Amino acid sequence: MTDLDKKLHKEPKKETPTDVRFVRVPSIVERKLGADYVAPMRLDPRVLDQMQTTIKGLETRYGDALRGQIQTLLALVEPACGGDTEARGRLYAIVHDMRGLAGTFGHPMVGRFANSLCNYIESAGITAWNDDTIFQFHLDAIREALESPGADPAITLETLNALQKLIAASAAERRRLG
Amino acid sequence: MTHSIFKKLTVLVVDDSAYMRHLLMTLLQALGVSNVHVAAEGAEAWELFRRHEPDIVITDAAMLPIDGFTFAERLRNITGGALGMVPIIMVSGHTDLASIERARDIGITEFLSKPISARSLYQRLIQVIDRPRQFVETPTYRGPDRRRRNLPYDGGDRRGVVALL
Repeated sequence: MTDLDKKLHKEPKKETPTDVRFVRVPSIVERKLGADYVAPMRLDPRVLDQMQTTIKGLETRYGDALRGQIQTLLALVEPACGGDTEARGRLYAIVHDMRGLAGTFGHPMVGRFANSLCNYIESAGITAWNDDTIFQFHLDAIREALESPGADPAITLETLNALQKLIAASAAERRRLG
Repeated sequence: MTHSIFKKLTVLVVDDSAYMRHLLMTLLQALGVSNVHVAAEGAEAWELFRRHEPDIVITDAAMLPIDGFTFAERLRNITGGALGMVPIIMVSGHTDLASIERARDIGITEFLSKPISARSLYQRLIQVIDRPRQFVETPTYRGPDRRRRNLPYDGGDRRGVVALL
């Protein structure tokens, strides 16, 4: 018998009973459609196609916007690493957007590089801005992934791994310096 | 059938990214949702929620000044009616365990990680529309039942300390 079992079976219950209430929630579809409701609701392939076509339609426009965002990021790195807090905020917001959107719009590697940079900013905190090297390398990778969507995935993943190693080395250095 | 239910829905979308708001709104419209309201952060979302009483809330997690967690907590604190039980789908790029656990503990109904796909959004919507989980109210938690499956359990009964009302 494990300690947990002994505790559950042998020890008297000391905790004060807690009030718990379970509420059955009527399904929205049942509530809205009433007698027309036919259970269960399934994913309709035609509707899914329509949604995917919608995303495709937005892809080109997003690709153009992404190019503009990369230019903005390149311009923001220097002031951000030079102490400009507004530039830091804008840079992070753009990269955060990329992390969330690029994958949806057919640029998964752009999204992964953006995710890597976001994670770096989030984990390193204020010290992230002491050096622009990691920013520059990430932005180069993002630009390359956008301009060469057909690039060998193995090479792109290798680049991502190299960036992760760079971030890990930077974290180790921060720890060493205290 | 699928389309007829979506036509009757009112959905509130909350995201600080204009692109994301546009994407979610366009996808919902492709599904047939006619009433989509959008907000850029929690305070604005709260106003829209009170005004339109949406059937579903789709919210980002990280926003300023009021983030998706705070907004969701505020929704779950509405007592005395069905409004506090509104399904909340949290869409977030923060997929670390701490963020997901925080979302769960606040009473988020579904968690959707970015980048989103048409399929993942559609599936989550069907889940909250057609297969709602029962709601649990305790002094420390108010939200959908976290148990999604009814699996056999061989251990001791650890629920003995809980008195059901």
